[in-house]
Amino acid sequence: MLAALLVYGTLVLDPAPSPVGAWRAVLDLAGGPLRFGLEIEKVGGGLRAQICNGIRCQRVDARMEGDSLTLNIPDYAATVTAALRGDSLMGTYRNVGNRGPRTIPVRADRGRWPTAPAPKRLRGRWDATYLHDWGTSRRVFEFRDGRAGLEGTIISNTGDYGHFAGIAEADSFSIAHFDGSFVYLLTGKLDGDTLRGIFHAGPRTQTPWTAVRSTGAPHLKSPTEVTGADTTGPFRFDFVDLNGQRVRSDDARFRDKVVLVDIFGSWCPTCHDAAPELLRLYQRYRPRGLEMVGLAYEVTGDSAIDGRQVRRYRDKFGITFPLLLAGVNDTDAAAATLPQLRGFTSFPTTLFLGRDGRIRRVHAGFYGPATGAQHRRLLREFEREIEKLLEEKREQ
Amino acid sequence: MSCKSSSRTFVIAFACVLLASKLPAQTPPDVAMERSGYVDWLKKASNSPLSAVAQQKVGDGLRLGPEDADIPLPGMAEFRVYPSGASLILEGPDGKRLVARGGPHRIGKYALYLTGPRPGTVLTVFAATAGKEPPGYYDYDALVVFTGPLIRTKTPQVVRVLASDGIEAEATEVGTFLVPLGGGTALRVLRIPVASGDESELEIFFRDESNGDGTYPAGRFVGLHPLPNGQFRLDLNRARNPFCAYSSVYPCPAPWRGNTIPAAVRAGERYAGGGLDPGTPGPEAR
Repeated sequence: MLAALLVYGTLVLDPAPSPVGAWRAVLDLAGGPLRFGLEIEKVGGGLRAQICNGIRCQRVDARMEGDSLTLNIPDYAATVTAALRGDSLMGTYRNVGNRGPRTIPVRADRGRWPTAPAPKRLRGRWDATYLHDWGTSRRVFEFRDGRAGLEGTIISNTGDYGHFAGIAEADSFSIAHFDGSFVYLLTGKLDGDTLRGIFHAGPRTQTPWTAVRSTGAPHLKSPTEVTGADTTGPFRFDFVDLNGQRVRSDDARFRDKVVLVDIFGSWCPTCHDAAPELLRLYQRYRPRGLEMVGLAYEVTGDSAIDGRQVRRYRDKFGITFPLLLAGVNDTDAAAATLPQLRGFTSFPTTLFLGRDGRIRRVHAGFYGPATGAQHRRLLREFEREIEKLLEEKREQ
Repeated sequence: MSCKSSSRTFVIAFACVLLASKLPAQTPPDVAMERSGYVDWLKKASNSPLSAVAQQKVGDGLRLGPEDADIPLPGMAEFRVYPSGASLILEGPDGKRLVARGGPHRIGKYALYLTGPRPGTVLTVFAATAGKEPPGYYDYDALVVFTGPLIRTKTPQVVRVLASDGIEAEATEVGTFLVPLGGGTALRVLRIPVASGDESELEIFFRDESNGDGTYPAGRFVGLHPLPNGQFRLDLNRARNPFCAYSSVYPCPAPWRGNTIPAAVRAGERYAGGGLDPGTPGPEAR
C-alpha cells in the first residue's frame, strides 16, 4: 500500500519534463554527425529557442506539448520535432522540396559542446578543389580561432556559405553550418601540406575535396564575371509589390536615379546577410539619388504564401525600399523573368544601374560577415561603385 | 522458447529460422520516419501528386474550364494561362493578373502550379477533392538491404532523364551497384540534382518481377545511400513510385536500360492503381 502511494505520489508530483536549457544537438547525416547548439529559454508562459553554430545563433519559435518539442523555423518553412525523454531529445528535422519532404534524424543531450582553440596549422585561407562526379569546381576555405574554437566559412564564385563552427582534434576537423534551411558539414584531415576531406550537403550528398594553402593568387572567379548582362538598353522589370501594386522599372521613383536591384529570396541565408548592408547603403545614399528595389524569388510562387514570407523578411530587417514578388527560386525560372541577364546562377545577385537605367555592374552572390576581410572589402567596393554612379550625373 | 543461438537442439534452431523468415522485420526508425513523412505529404500537400488532375505545357497559352478547353475543369468558367513577354498571365472572369512560376494559384476548387522555365513551362492542376489514398508499403524486409561499393564509371556522362516527379533533369551517370538478387544484377546509378546546387541524390530506377503484380508496372526509384566507410547501402524497402503511379497526368520515366532485377522485389512502396499505363514512357536515359 505504502509503495503504491509512493508511486502515485511520484507520478502526481513529478513535473512535466522541461526542455529549458542548453543542448548539444546533432543532425545525423549519412556521412556523420553535424553538431549544432540548441538553447531553449522560458519567456512569459511560452518558450523561445535558438539554433547555434558556435556563438552565432538564430531565434526560432518553440512550443512544448506533453513531451513533444516543436521548433518552427518560419524563415525557411522548416520544423524540428523531438520527444523529450529525461535528458535527451530524439526526433526529426523536416522541410519540403518539390519531390516531397526531406527528413533528417536529430538528437540532443543536455549541455554545450566543448570548445578548444583552433590549431594554428589549420588557421588561414585554403584554396580548395571539389572533386565531383562530373568534374571539379573551386572553393576557398577560411579557418580561424574564434570564441567557439574552430570557426570559418566556405566561399564559392558567388558568395559564402555562412558562418561555420566546429572542432579540431589532432590533424582532423569537423565544421558545420545549419540554419534551418541549409545543412552543410565540412570534414577533413591534414595530410602533409594538403587538406583532404568531404563536403556534406543535406542528408546524403558527399563531395570529396583537397585544399592547399592559398598563395594569395586569385583562386575563384570574380563575382562580376559570373553573370553577364545586356547593357544596350535600360534594365526592365515589371512585377507586383507586397500590396499587389504593379511596379515597373520606368516608374517615376526610379527615373534618373542610380538603382540597386537586389535579386533575393527570403529562403536564402546569404540574402539575410546582405539585407542589412543594402539597407545601410540605401539610407546613406538615398538623399544623393540612390534608389533600391528587391526582386523576391520565393519557394511556392503563391502570392499569399510568398507574400507572407517576404513581409516577414522586410519586417525582420526594417526594409523600406519596395520588395516585389518576381517568381520562384530556381535559377532557370529567375533567368526567364530577367532575360537581360546571361548566366544567372546565384541568390543574391545585385545589379547596379546607372541613372540611364542601364546595367553597369552585376555582382553575383555576397560575402557575408563570416568571411571577415572579404566582407569588409566587398562593402567598400559597393560604396565606391555607388559613389561613382552618383557622380556620373554631375559630369553630364 | 528462446531463439538465442544454442547447440542444444537442432530442431529449436531450425524452428527459429523458420519463424524468423515468416515474421516481418521491425521497420528501422529512419525508414519509418521517412515513410510517415512522405505519406503525410501525399495526403495533405496542395501539390500532392495524388490530387493532380491535369498537366500540360503552357506553350503559347492554355484554355481551362469549358468542355472544349485544353484542360476541361467541370463547373469552372473559362480561364486562360498564357505567356506575356517573360511573364505569365492568368486571365479569368474577374480580369487578368501576373502569376509567378510555382503555386498554388487558386481558381475555385483547383490549385494551379507552374513549373519549369520558359519555353517549357508546365501547368499542373490539382483538385482538393481528388483525394486518393497513398498506396502503402510492404512489410519491412531485411533481406533486401545490400551494402557494397559503387563501381564508378571512368568517364561519367551527362544524360537527360525524367526524375521521379516527371520533370526533366540533367543527371550524371556515375556507375553501377551490384545486387545479388536473381543471380546478380548490375544496376545503373545516376546522380540527380535536388533543389540547391550543392545537393543531389544517387538514384536507381529499376524494374523487377513484381511490377504489375503488386508494384508499379513501369518500375520504381530507390536511392543509393553513402555510408561513412566509403561503401553504399541499397535498401529496396525504400523503393518508391514515380509520380505517374499516383496520377496518370504525369509523364512516366522510361525504364533505364539494363536495370531489371530478375526476381520479385516485394518491398518498398506498393501500387494501388490509378497511374499511367507503362506503354507511354518519357525519354530514356541512354
